[in-house]
Amino acid sequence: MLIGISLISFFIMHLAPGDITSSEAAFNPKASEESRQKLRELYNLDKPVIIQYGLWLKRMVELDFGNSFASHQRPVLWEKKDGKGNVIKGLIQESLPITLLINLIGIFLIFSVSIVLGTISAVKQNSIVDKSITFFIFVAFAIPGFWLALLLMYWTGVVNQWLPISGLHSLDYKSFSEVGQFFDLLKHLILPVSISMLSGLAGISLYVRNGMLDVLHQDFITTARSKGLKEKNVIFTHALKNAILPLITIIGLSIPGLIGGSVIAESIFAIPGMGKLFYDSVLMRDFPVIMGILTIGSVLTLIGTLIADIGYAWADPRIRKGLVK
Amino acid sequence: MKQFFLLILSLIFIISCSNNDSEVIDYNDNNLSSGGVMINAMSAEPSNLISMIAGDSASSAIASKIFNSLIRYDENLNFTSDIAKSWKISEDQKTITFKIKKGLEWSDGKPLTSADVYFTWKLITNPNTRTPYGSDYTLVSEAKVPDEHTFIVTYDDNYAPALDTWASLEILPKHILENEDVNSTFFSRKPTGSNYYKLGDWVSGQQVNLIKSENGVLGAPYIEKLTSRIIPDTSSQFLELSAGNIDLMNINPIQFKRVFPAKPKLKNRTALYKEMGNGYTYLGFNLKREPFNNKKVRQAINYAINKEEVIKGVLLGLGEPISSPYKPGTRWSDPSLKPYVYSPKKALSLLREAGYKMSADNFLVKDGKALEFEIITNQNKQREMTAVLIQRRLKEIGIKVSIRVIEWASFVNRFIKPGDFDVVVLGWSLSLDPDQFNIWHSSQQGPGQFNFVGYDNKKVDQLLEKGRRELDLDKREKIYHEFSKQLLDDSPIVYLYAGYGLTAVNKRIKGIKSPAPPAGIYHNSQDWYIPKRLRRNELTNK
Repeated sequence: MLIGISLISFFIMHLAPGDITSSEAAFNPKASEESRQKLRELYNLDKPVIIQYGLWLKRMVELDFGNSFASHQRPVLWEKKDGKGNVIKGLIQESLPITLLINLIGIFLIFSVSIVLGTISAVKQNSIVDKSITFFIFVAFAIPGFWLALLLMYWTGVVNQWLPISGLHSLDYKSFSEVGQFFDLLKHLILPVSISMLSGLAGISLYVRNGMLDVLHQDFITTARSKGLKEKNVIFTHALKNAILPLITIIGLSIPGLIGGSVIAESIFAIPGMGKLFYDSVLMRDFPVIMGILTIGSVLTLIGTLIADIGYAWADPRIRKGLVK
Repeated sequence: MKQFFLLILSLIFIISCSNNDSEVIDYNDNNLSSGGVMINAMSAEPSNLISMIAGDSASSAIASKIFNSLIRYDENLNFTSDIAKSWKISEDQKTITFKIKKGLEWSDGKPLTSADVYFTWKLITNPNTRTPYGSDYTLVSEAKVPDEHTFIVTYDDNYAPALDTWASLEILPKHILENEDVNSTFFSRKPTGSNYYKLGDWVSGQQVNLIKSENGVLGAPYIEKLTSRIIPDTSSQFLELSAGNIDLMNINPIQFKRVFPAKPKLKNRTALYKEMGNGYTYLGFNLKREPFNNKKVRQAINYAINKEEVIKGVLLGLGEPISSPYKPGTRWSDPSLKPYVYSPKKALSLLREAGYKMSADNFLVKDGKALEFEIITNQNKQREMTAVLIQRRLKEIGIKVSIRVIEWASFVNRFIKPGDFDVVVLGWSLSLDPDQFNIWHSSQQGPGQFNFVGYDNKKVDQLLEKGRRELDLDKREKIYHEFSKQLLDDSPIVYLYAGYGLTAVNKRIKGIKSPAPPAGIYHNSQDWYIPKRLRRNELTNK
């Protein structure tokens, strides 16, 4: 499976015209065509694609993701040490934690807020509350994130100076205590996380709302009500549990999304995350980095589907029994 | 619900932590003293601080503050001393002798001598070094280091751009790099240089900090620390500037003309500078194709394009028309040459001479074929707008033009390299050395070479060959004025505009020359200073 995915990605990547030498110093008359040809040879870019793929696969077997072209031999995945003990950090190693952190907080917030909103909408179906929630999440979904981001940055950063505008740390954060550094980071993350949360709310809360409505109309809910249970119990213990089962699949499937960042949000907020890394490497035709990110992405997708299946079986006895049969 | 409350409470707490001091600052304080921090924004992260390998502008911007060359350009773009205190060109113009200053040091205290210069030359000409810039230096047939303070290079043939190449080669320390692989060395992220600043720290993807070096080759600067924040989005940079978090950024014409005047408060504490930019935009014809192989057609199109209108529309007037590929105001640019004026009448009469007739539906036709072509350009807003303005003017005189916008790498590889285009809108840099051999000599038309428009003029070829062998500046000037004249007359490209470089700087930074000299405002950045009272206290108290 992985080989198939990597083979296809590799060939598609090479279908795009150009290579690293066509952007790097491409139009500087001081850089001669011979020098560029020399660079192509040094990077093995003059060989047929299938041989390049073979070379890449050979390295991958040893879990060596190679070195980036564009950033001049920085390792793609993980740090390396040179002879003098200097540590050169990997590109993915540096970008991934930031993106993971933002996405984890984002997903956690999306799910918790969505479940609350979705449940309220379903319980108060067709009321003013329901309608205003639906209206709010659709507006949040439809507003272009970058536009809202800039407005919020202007309002909270320039007009009022409540929050930092961009970046991940204050310039002097190294002089803070550890707790101070943590709060500094949180302060910088408020805007980017809220922007990514707003656009994600719509899908999940509608999912919860519809799931909830389905469940609420089923017989066992009527039974629960008829046996005199409190409405609170009916909704939270009986209905909600069933309604959020499908979310497990969604969580599983969003695992690969955890490592993907948004190019636009990362550019606006000056966050050096995965989205920007991937986008830049595509523009620079930095093949080892593109392949590295794609490979990790596909591994995570496979793992994510697996986890979703297992999680579903774990949470829902009906599926477990179906498997045994 | 409880968690929700906690979350909101903590948010309020975090917000209330931020300080909110309103500033009333008097920017008229001019007391010169060293110290302070200048924070600027850059759009991209440097890839590698060894600029012979890096090649991107972010890298060279930082590297040029850390390293020195043998010689450098002064504010009027003439050569002046840097590591070398003087240089002499031999009678036969084939040998250059550089005398290196005595007592120079790297920032780590080790001596800087001619051995380092020789080492750097060896490095850039080594075939294993992954640099696209090596070819200029392989022309040196012999390099000699008779003593610690002399470096002599000999060329087989006179090579006039030689001085320019030595002004752009940054000298690297031999004692550190001698046993390293320059392609992958850690030195590229933690360099030791000899210039005004040394690298403090580099937080990947976020900021690069430079700290004043006390033993720089050219002395010490006033400003203690330069912080370059990496903010890819220019709107975010602008917000940071408005909030006073950064001191300096490059701005675009809209910000210069429309946004700053509309914000009096911001304007009060920001100074705007404009200088001649480093590049020009042109419309280039594929001279190997009909009808662009006809000089009259090219000249007609040149007359039919209103350059003033393009400058007004695209750059809001912040640019200049040019008539040679050299920076206006430098000796290479001939002030007596004038751009083609806008004259649809002249255009039409030239096209009639070329055999075109107006058809019934108002299009120019020759031998049953309408005069129509496609302008291609890369994804660059200014170039796209330029193409649209040109399209309109050409339509008025009966030429059908369509426009296509293509991503850069595809643009170069699918269209430019195979020569598969009618007309392009692109840019060239206004180079400091007048040599334009790579761009205009008829031998430079192979795939991947830079004369992709296919310009072939024997007279120009001769002038270019002569110009690159002539080291006498006055004679050289004559040659390149003659070349520019011929080029303008042949009109293989239409010079559209050279835009200004625009910079916004917080007024706390003093000592910036205005109006900017030909070399731009940055050339004396070591003399900039921040008066004590105007410094950011939170960063300098330590």
